[in-house]
Amino acid sequence: MKNSKSILKKLTASREVSLIIVLVILCVAIGLRSPSFLTLKSIADMFKNNVVTMIMAVGMLGVLLVGGIDISIASTLAFSGMAVGMLLKRGVITSTPLAILIAVGIGLVCGLLVGLVVAKGNVAPIIASMGFMYIYRGLAYVISNNEWASADSLGDFKNFALGKILGINNVVWIMILIYIAFFILMKWTTLGRKLYAVGSNREAAEISGINASNVILFSHTMMGVLAGLCGALAVSIYASAQANMLYGKEMDVIAACVIGGVSMTGGRGSVLGAFLGALILAIIAKALPLVGIEAIAQNTVKGVIILVVIILNVLTQRSMDKNSLKEREL
Amino acid sequence: MKKRIFSVLLCMAMMASLLVGCGSSNDGGDDAKSEDGGSDSGKKVYAMVAKQAGNPFMEKMAEGFTEVVEAAGGEAIIKYPEEGKADHQITAIQSLISQGVDSISVAANDENALQPALEDAMAEGIKVNCLDSKVNADSRQLFVNQAGVDEIGQALMDAVLDISGGEGQWAILSATSQATNQNAWIDSMKEIMEGDEYSKLELVEVAYGDDEPQKSTDQTQALLSKYPDLKVICAPTTVGIMAAGKVLQDEGSATKLTGLGLPSEMAAYIGDGDDSSCPYMFLWNPIDLGRLGAYSAIALVNGDIEGAEGETFDAGDMENSPYTITDAGDGGTEVILGQPFKFDPSNIDEWKEVY
Amino acid sequence: MAGKSGRTIAHTQNKSLLKRLMCWESMLVILFIIVNIYCSSLSSTYQINNVLREMPKYLTEVFLLLPMAYILVMGDIDISVGSIVCLSATVACILGNKGLPFGLVLLVGLLTGALCGLINGIIVTKFTELPPMIVTLGTQILFRGIAEIALGSGGSISLEHAEGFRMLAGRVGRIPYILFLVLILAVIYIIILSKTTFGRKLYAIGSNKLAAYYAGVKVQKIRLIVFTLTGLMAGLSALFLTALQYGVNTTTASGFEMNAISMAVFGGISTAGGKGRLQGGVIAAFIIISLRVGLGQINLNPQVILIILGALLILAVMAPNIVEQFKLMKKRSSVK
Repeated sequence: MKNSKSILKKLTASREVSLIIVLVILCVAIGLRSPSFLTLKSIADMFKNNVVTMIMAVGMLGVLLVGGIDISIASTLAFSGMAVGMLLKRGVITSTPLAILIAVGIGLVCGLLVGLVVAKGNVAPIIASMGFMYIYRGLAYVISNNEWASADSLGDFKNFALGKILGINNVVWIMILIYIAFFILMKWTTLGRKLYAVGSNREAAEISGINASNVILFSHTMMGVLAGLCGALAVSIYASAQANMLYGKEMDVIAACVIGGVSMTGGRGSVLGAFLGALILAIIAKALPLVGIEAIAQNTVKGVIILVVIILNVLTQRSMDKNSLKEREL
Repeated sequence: MKKRIFSVLLCMAMMASLLVGCGSSNDGGDDAKSEDGGSDSGKKVYAMVAKQAGNPFMEKMAEGFTEVVEAAGGEAIIKYPEEGKADHQITAIQSLISQGVDSISVAANDENALQPALEDAMAEGIKVNCLDSKVNADSRQLFVNQAGVDEIGQALMDAVLDISGGEGQWAILSATSQATNQNAWIDSMKEIMEGDEYSKLELVEVAYGDDEPQKSTDQTQALLSKYPDLKVICAPTTVGIMAAGKVLQDEGSATKLTGLGLPSEMAAYIGDGDDSSCPYMFLWNPIDLGRLGAYSAIALVNGDIEGAEGETFDAGDMENSPYTITDAGDGGTEVILGQPFKFDPSNIDEWKEVY
Repeated sequence: MAGKSGRTIAHTQNKSLLKRLMCWESMLVILFIIVNIYCSSLSSTYQINNVLREMPKYLTEVFLLLPMAYILVMGDIDISVGSIVCLSATVACILGNKGLPFGLVLLVGLLTGALCGLINGIIVTKFTELPPMIVTLGTQILFRGIAEIALGSGGSISLEHAEGFRMLAGRVGRIPYILFLVLILAVIYIIILSKTTFGRKLYAIGSNKLAAYYAGVKVQKIRLIVFTLTGLMAGLSALFLTALQYGVNTTTASGFEMNAISMAVFGGISTAGGKGRLQGGVIAAFIIISLRVGLGQINLNPQVILIILGALLILAVMAPNIVEQFKLMKKRSSVK
């Protein structure tokens, strides 16, 4: 009896479990309205179409954990994507791995610069990344030369996002691998613990010998690498590179993390949470047209859902704190 | 006390800089201007305000515009707004007024929002026309229309009828729900659909992909799973048709696509076989649109026309020259470039190199 | 962090005139002068009457800078202001077209803004665990969403009776009304922040919320007031913006929040709270306006202008930090 009670408590106490419950309810509700939602194909489509947000969400987790924020990622993505697109269009490169490597390299440099300004220049992360948001987006426009790179000029590269291994799309595999890597990083490595430590209490972390500014630099660089990679993936998935691609999507990524229970003040959050948060947003985007909510009302619905989820989160947290307090008193 | 001195100093410095910065330029500016006028010997300046930066359609339009203006011995300014929004076009227009250009040709992001800025321009004696997307009748002298709304509606409707084989379900994938051009074309298509020959066609949904690849992809996939018997998707927007073409082709879907798209971006999807998603589509030549915009701006500046109905102007070696100005039906006037042009497998390879 | 005792407390101490002249605001004034000289050397059309004519559009953003400075000083942030502007403008336009008297339209426009701000305020003060960034991200999407529904499928409304609004866009001689209003409000906001106890309380909250609370500052009440005030100012901005475009559309004022924040930060106000003066923010706003107008005259690609502004922002914020670090290093080595 006692055992089962503690399992129940453990279940309700865990943020991820409550998210999964929300997810299941959401899926069932949508599935009832529109049976085609819960088919394998529709779910596979959904993952492929939201790979970019999902990958960036886990990078954003790292940044948020150290108490930072990065709103330059959509611009980094556009810059690296546009660069790859133009290189392919001009015929400078043709090989897919090289294209992805270049995109990752650009992302690495972009992220490193943001990280240096934040960690070594002592600039507030939101301001530093806002400045770079303008700069990278501007660079994307400048290198685009007012052109798009489209299916016809991308050659084999666009087939990368069509290929499948074991029935799962290549880009989804990349996402899975990144999630596994981050799960291991956060759970079982000292670097992962350092991220949490710096975010929870920077001074304490520094006193205990952690070089906090290097940890912050790492988190932004990692974010940049992922954003750069996503630039290449987005070009491959949509077979098109445009200078304004994913404009404003950084907010979606941050929202995904916050819905997934990642604290914006640092130190709290998990890889699974970031994943579930991104998944909820993906399901909403996928479901709204399916259940026939007017296009015009979609933003209102999205705004309400974000507010409700974060407020519910606070309320459950409060009642949990109260309960544990009571228990201690007894 | 010291504090007060300090703030007084600050204020004085601000004032002084205003005077030094702007004031001196006022005097110097007049000199410079007269010098400019002398060296350029009355070179006319024609400006075009694009809808947004980084858009190949606008770029080709700008190319045609510049070519004609420079051939006529004028100077062309292509002004891009910071973002594809009416807000930013207002500041672009105001900046052009400051520069004292002779004409402004604008591809508007909002029909009404530019009115005060364009009224200011006209009050300064600047000639105003619009191309691609119009502004309301009060804020323009002439609209250079790519093709009549009803011609586009008719062409798209006939394509849907032809591709579907005369009957069945079809859907529209548009840009944003607020896009003026797209809404006008869709309304026209709905009107044409009242006709008897279209009675077996069923328009199941008008979806909006907001001209974002990701959202357009979501919407296309939703259409496919909601309506398994869907015969045709018609996407009268360049971003939407690309995303839809990609989805349909990747899935090898039986649903076919038509609409309005850029040949250079759509070449990979156009073909007759089952492995191509789009049998044919339409568009007009953006280069010609820009050229006609320039010719009409030149005619306005030279005083050859005033933008009144019935006037004609010469457009160099363009196909339908001379063009006649007609009533646009919204209280203003327009000149129509021509019929929408059909791109099919026979001519796509030739046109994808052009625009 | 380098400590929070930097710029704010400085003005309570008595310093020499020279030291006062060495502050960030003086740097900004010098930069303002340089920018103006540079712009007028770039283009012969960078003249005072042209600048005054192009200014009103940019000044609508300065309305948002003033309360945003308060919010940042408290260590909060509000990224929903652009959407509030859009929603207030929508409500004002709809009511204006219904034929309501102009005065009432203005009032309702302002109140809509204030109501939106109040909603933000209630959420952030009732759920203090939530960072204002995420709350206002939610309301940013929500408020614009409501405006989208109200605007309907057309996505834009134009004024049928523009006379009243046309008056708002009027000018005395060459100087637009909005410039007077912005300057008067700026002075009021600066005085409140630097001379009144209310202003001191804002700094106290920004430096340390808990300490301020124990010192008897009604933290949540003040936050509620400031968020509502921000909404009100967004309503004001909406009215003038409507006057500049005789209407409203779904993208109206998008991105205003980032522009207002960058002006404030450029002016030396820290997003971490408790630091900076509004004077700097106002001067920074005029620097940015001059730069945008000036570079617009030579038809520079707007994306390049954005790159310049982004780089300037980063440099402006990083410069004092680097100087401080350098000084710290020097001190340490001299101690050794």
